[in-house]
Amino acid sequence: MNLSYPKRIFLTALLMIISLLMIMAALWMPPVDREVNVMDSLFVIDITDSMNVEDARFGNQTINRLDWAKEFTRQSILSMPCGSHAGLAIFSEARSLILMTPVEVCANYHDLMQMLSQFHPTMAWARSSEVSKALYTAIRQAREITPQPTVVFLTDGHEAPPVHETLFPKFTDTPGEVPGVIVGIGGSDLQPIPKTNESGEIEGYWGINDVMHKDVYASTRADAAEHNENRPRTEHLSSQKVSHMETISKRVGFEFMSSPSSPQALIRTMEQISDLRQQPIKYDFFVWLASVALLLMILVFLPYSLFSRQRG
Amino acid sequence: MNWGNPYMLFLLPLAVLPWLSRNTEKQIVWQALLPRDPISTFISLLIRLLATMTLAALIIAVAEPYIPEYTVQRSAQGAEVIILLDRSRSMDQPFARRHRFRLSTKMNFKESKRSVARYYLTEFVSSRPDDRFGYVFFSEQATGILPLTSSREATLATIEAGGLGRGLTKTDIAVALKKAGEMFEDQPYRGARIVLLISDGGQILNTDQERQIASILEQNNLILYWIYLRSVNGMTLEAMPGESVLWEGAPERHLHAFFKQLNVPYRAFEAGSLEAFSAAMQAIDQQHYQPIVLDETMPKESLADYFLWTAMICLLLVTLSQIYTLLGVLRAYQQPQK
Repeated sequence: MNLSYPKRIFLTALLMIISLLMIMAALWMPPVDREVNVMDSLFVIDITDSMNVEDARFGNQTINRLDWAKEFTRQSILSMPCGSHAGLAIFSEARSLILMTPVEVCANYHDLMQMLSQFHPTMAWARSSEVSKALYTAIRQAREITPQPTVVFLTDGHEAPPVHETLFPKFTDTPGEVPGVIVGIGGSDLQPIPKTNESGEIEGYWGINDVMHKDVYASTRADAAEHNENRPRTEHLSSQKVSHMETISKRVGFEFMSSPSSPQALIRTMEQISDLRQQPIKYDFFVWLASVALLLMILVFLPYSLFSRQRG
Repeated sequence: MNWGNPYMLFLLPLAVLPWLSRNTEKQIVWQALLPRDPISTFISLLIRLLATMTLAALIIAVAEPYIPEYTVQRSAQGAEVIILLDRSRSMDQPFARRHRFRLSTKMNFKESKRSVARYYLTEFVSSRPDDRFGYVFFSEQATGILPLTSSREATLATIEAGGLGRGLTKTDIAVALKKAGEMFEDQPYRGARIVLLISDGGQILNTDQERQIASILEQNNLILYWIYLRSVNGMTLEAMPGESVLWEGAPERHLHAFFKQLNVPYRAFEAGSLEAFSAAMQAIDQQHYQPIVLDETMPKESLADYFLWTAMICLLLVTLSQIYTLLGVLRAYQQPQK
């Protein structure tokens, strides 16, 4: 750079003036509205006994399914942009019970986590686990909430008592009217299900003779003999019932994800199926403006003479 | 003080650049030709110092310094309220109606006692800005799903959720009351502590339960309110002369008698209609404006502006001197042509 002395002085003054204007803009430019996509969600968590089975992979460790569900819910809520809403519900017996309708995730993060941490099998009001019926009630209740949330149903898919393929409870609403995702939890191997007592401590396991192994309604039908034929009695054991959850998710028009590896995957799926809302957020550009000012000032004061002397 | 972009602080050494750079100096033939002028020396030092300050202030501003949000305690007028809302199936029924020997298959959720309770609770919570609320969910077991919080949105969402769907078959008021008391344990005493029980039925407690509930309510200085939603026409909590003999041993009356002999402030409201319910809520609302200590969250405060101001003032002076130099130089270069 071989600039004459007056040119150098002029350029320096020019850069300084621009830099000064940038700083002024950083100070006085009002925050700009930027639109972000936010959604309303309702996390329904299975709290039945089978969720106590320790076969959910989380990173390098194996934890119980309920803890996995809670941690996954926590991370999903954390991954949502501010302005998104999340509600919490539990499912036990044959129905889902909403405990908190969707609230804004950033302002209420603490309260959401407090509630989530309380979810425990002792909250269950009955000892059965009728996944499909519970899913239907979750959908029905989600419809009562305005704005209508996207349902995230976290379960291992274990139906207790079992349901015969032809005797599924009927879904009377329009599939897909309420968008949602079923998140399957648990491993693929059958594991014994811990039994909990009144205070939530684990006391042994459900035995082979403690549970029903067949759909009682199917046994009264004409083809009962066929149905009763040497079927393995494994309903006291539990694994992630992938094909069952695929079937019910198809029935209600939900997406199904088996043990998603990251909450981002869930959020992406939800963004595709949910009615997104545009939420304006205030964005202050001052960092960018100040950075430009800083860059210009560095350009002004870089010791060019040192470089040119080396070249010479 | 926290930083939004702490790694930007690594640029701070760049602030010495003005002392290394000679870009704006004129090369001259011989040093001795320069007149010695202490004021000029001082001014040129000052300009460099200002330029250094500009760079440093800009780097710090870009690193986004801020004071994170913090809580301060402030005293206000209000109370801490734990809400116990009965979720039993009978709460799905409308207010007291005549007994029929036939169960109605059609539930009227719109006017069910639960949705009425939800409506007035929402009003109550909204009208008391400085209260802290908690919520106990109970069936056979009780869970304090919403520990005492000042967040209106979370409280209202929990109350609203309580009005959705159908009731549960089994509920146990005893465990719920115990849970409500426990929620105040290990909490500093901030102000009036209220347990607000809304139910349409009573429960006969055994002596064990009675003792536990009595001790937990008394130990934690609780105030108990019971809004009794009458489910049988005409039945009152206190015995009335000439009433039906069937009402004599009703569980509601047992519970009422037990609450009365407790050593804590207790008041029952009997609501047989919407109006009575809203009157009860108003009465509670008026009673509890006592000093309460609240945690208030002060929002995160950005400190970048102070540094931007510093940078601007320093740079303004540097720029003015530069413009002054420019004017002088231009004049000097123009003169020989004349």
